[in-house]
Amino acid sequence: MFERMLIGKMENRVTVGIVCFVGTMVLLGWASINEGGRMLALEETYHARSIEQGAALFATNCTRCHGPDGRGLAGYAPALNNPSFFGHDFFPDITTQINNLDSDKAALTAELESVTAPPTDERRAEINARLSEIDTEIGSLSAERDPQLQAAVDLGYNPQKPDRLQNLGWAGTSDAFVLTTLIHGRPVSINYWENGAMPAWSQTAGGPLRTDQLEDLTAYVLNWDKSDQWTLDDLFAVKQFAKEPLDPDKFGGGELPDPIGADVASILTELETVTGDVARGDALFHNQTVSQVRERLACSGCHIQTSNGTGPMADGMWTRINEVRLQDSALAGYTPEQYIVTSILQPGAYLVPGFQNLMLANFGQRITLQDLADLLAYIETLNQPAS
Amino acid sequence: MSVLPFPSFLDDVKAKGLKKAVFELVDESMERLTAGMNIQDIREALRGEPASRKPNPRLTPHADGFWLHMRPSYFHADMTGLYPTFRLGWLSTYLVFFETITGILLMVWYTPAPGIAYEDMVNIVTRVPLGQLMRDLHRLGAEAMVLIVALHMLRTYLTGSYKKPREFTWFTGVLLLIFTGFLSFTGYLLPWDQLALWAVTIGASMIEATPPAIVGENLNLLIRGGPEIAANGLLRFYLAHVLLLPVLLFIFVGVHYYKVIIHGHSLPPKKENIGEDTAKRVPLDKRVYFIPDILTSETMWLAVTTLILVVLCIWFYDAPLEHHADPQITPLGTTAPWYFLWLQGALKLGDKVFWGLIFPGILLGVLAVWPYLDVTPSRRFADRRIAITIFLLLISFTTILSYMGLAKFGVATSADAEVLYEMTFPPAHNRMGELLPVPYNQLVVGMYTTRQIAAENDDPGNGSSAVNAFNQEVETIMVATADGNATLSLDAWITDLLSREDHLAISGLNFTTVPADAPELKQVLEDFQAKLEAENTELYNGWGGIIISQNQDGLKRADVLVSWDEVQLESGHPVLDENGNVIPVLDANGQPVRRLNRTHIFIHEDGAYFAN
Repeated sequence: MFERMLIGKMENRVTVGIVCFVGTMVLLGWASINEGGRMLALEETYHARSIEQGAALFATNCTRCHGPDGRGLAGYAPALNNPSFFGHDFFPDITTQINNLDSDKAALTAELESVTAPPTDERRAEINARLSEIDTEIGSLSAERDPQLQAAVDLGYNPQKPDRLQNLGWAGTSDAFVLTTLIHGRPVSINYWENGAMPAWSQTAGGPLRTDQLEDLTAYVLNWDKSDQWTLDDLFAVKQFAKEPLDPDKFGGGELPDPIGADVASILTELETVTGDVARGDALFHNQTVSQVRERLACSGCHIQTSNGTGPMADGMWTRINEVRLQDSALAGYTPEQYIVTSILQPGAYLVPGFQNLMLANFGQRITLQDLADLLAYIETLNQPAS
Repeated sequence: MSVLPFPSFLDDVKAKGLKKAVFELVDESMERLTAGMNIQDIREALRGEPASRKPNPRLTPHADGFWLHMRPSYFHADMTGLYPTFRLGWLSTYLVFFETITGILLMVWYTPAPGIAYEDMVNIVTRVPLGQLMRDLHRLGAEAMVLIVALHMLRTYLTGSYKKPREFTWFTGVLLLIFTGFLSFTGYLLPWDQLALWAVTIGASMIEATPPAIVGENLNLLIRGGPEIAANGLLRFYLAHVLLLPVLLFIFVGVHYYKVIIHGHSLPPKKENIGEDTAKRVPLDKRVYFIPDILTSETMWLAVTTLILVVLCIWFYDAPLEHHADPQITPLGTTAPWYFLWLQGALKLGDKVFWGLIFPGILLGVLAVWPYLDVTPSRRFADRRIAITIFLLLISFTTILSYMGLAKFGVATSADAEVLYEMTFPPAHNRMGELLPVPYNQLVVGMYTTRQIAAENDDPGNGSSAVNAFNQEVETIMVATADGNATLSLDAWITDLLSREDHLAISGLNFTTVPADAPELKQVLEDFQAKLEAENTELYNGWGGIIISQNQDGLKRADVLVSWDEVQLESGHPVLDENGNVIPVLDANGQPVRRLNRTHIFIHEDGAYFAN
């Protein structure tokens, strides 16, 4: 049976061929009809799995600042699991009314202060009367709303500006907001979050995570949105709201102090007038705070604590300076402080044997006298025995 | 007189009438298109009637036409049955074209870059109409091709069709087998998921082992485009998969088929005299003509095979897509696809250079030159006992090696890591962790312990009291802290680890029995207990816990814990004393050292894990 053609007769071959071909077309047609629903369902499945991956990443990377439930941690990071983050307004009517009153007020004030068309005295009186009326109305509307939100207000919530993204002037989607924030972090926030800035998370920005991981995290964060179902309990569960640095003086805007430059001789003289703070020097060295010129020094990036890296190791530095470096005839007559200040401000002047000239030469533009004194104080504590 | 100022079709119309002129035009066009057959000839052929004019018009397309010039105009009747070829050569060629077409379609939606490839895969299966079907067809076709090509080789070996004068045909065939294997290997990486990255990393690391070191290292860099497989590696694998290997494949398919036709298909061994090759001398009464018989037969098989593949992909086969490739996470139990399992098994036998490179190299080398080694004239089975015995031994050896290539053979992992993995691993190779397929509504928030199951195995009514007793136990058992300076209750110790290190918001342990309306969750707990019992020498006095918490709307978190008393181990196995009992490790106070391992996963209600 297997030694001749399986289907011997021509008509039968043609029939089988046509039936199979038509069958394939029917199946493809049937599959096509179902495709819309299948694709939608599968897309939801992949979205769900993305949220799961994001949840795992959030637990590992984000909870230490944003809290285990995403409700923020006082002094560390704002809540994401938060009606304000998603722009929910619990009292939309009042907000609208107050906004309208505010614009009326702005228009009237502009008229009052107009230089090109100053109002008459009569009109002035009218405007002032109306302005105080408006203030009273705003006051009573706020009084109606704000006590109900007092617990949140105490933690920094602004009932009149409940929409975080709107307050930031963000014109894009919340998706894009979360993703881009994850990519580049918030380096500027070092100025008003005392426990550190949000780091950049994307590998393209020097962080540890890939883009697909960032998208998973975004999906997870956005999954907290309850659209219209947010309750006041959700609002009161928030432990830290976002900060908006409106006061430049308070939050580090305005003029910065001058950096010290690179004139080692005069700096050494001036150093005698300031006292160094060991703890602050330690924090500066280990990138836990910024200099007074708002610069990250990151000394520990090259001067690793217990091993040589790009630069000599941190532990034992003071010992080595005193016992080894200053024995070099090229440094005859140097004091340890002079050596350190020169090393920081003019790093190419002397190279420790075995190391290359890789230290940045711009520290003179990035630190003040106090920063230098603090660093010196810290380095003097690095007196571990030379190994 | 011409109708138009120049001779044209309209003159024929004027001379013969429209109907006749059109018919003749069509007839002539058909004869040109088919390189020799007009409408009457085609009709006769399809009706199974003999040709009505000479020379036989059914032979002209083979002589004059391009598409049929390499196909023989007739076959030997003894070759047209299922035996001896089983149509495997034809099927292999079909699959080459099938893969090319589905592959080209997929290329439209795919970019070979690490940031985009996986996204493109998800896009293909979720947003491209019939995209999932196309992808499944390509993947199934690839697996089928490896199988069919291997079977084709085995058949050719068994019927001795490699013997003189077909030695070089066999040689090109082995080359084609190697190209098919490499096509499969390079294509495997393209989805850029965990399966892709790690299976190919394992394969590529064998190349790294090529001695001498300078060759191996540079070959490795050449293939991977860098020390690890990343953007460069993916691009190189893609280019090999869509350009280099298909070009080589097509060239050698051409050579291979040309040689087949030049020598003619070898006949069944018993139909020929020993040492003779009469394949080309086909007696008139044994001729089966290509047009119409073989052509219609092949077209029919084309339709049948396509239908079978489409049916399989619509209802039975789903190509896998695991999580995004992660160079930081190596999944436990990564295995090669089934056709490379023998290699993975061979690597477990000893030195990787010998078993990973030299052994397969020798195998393929001997295979390629086999016709030049086996020069005995007879193709008959009775005269080839040695060759067939070698064949059977090789098949057995490869099968055993394939079994050894499986993850469960010879790979030592600690029992706790393995149990946790089996409870929670993401979908891979058509299996997944025990917890994943539990319906979302049965993942009731709470804390559950295998102690309930252990008690219920003795007496079904004991569950509740056992859990209460266990809650007492975890409050009273004390464990030493890491610095040895204090003791904590087991409860406090576990709670601290879970909240501080795993970021789970709990303030203490409080186990309950599994609710009655969660039978599948109960089943998972029972499976958990069974796994612990199977490892009760290494996981001495072990118990398991599952803590389910609500993380977000529609998202639950499941923490799975295993806790046991540490016992002395040697090479990963528990040491037994003279009575055959394990030896617990004791701390400074003579108390058994309690160990804990745990993992956690998140499960979304739309995760659809049952579907996998």
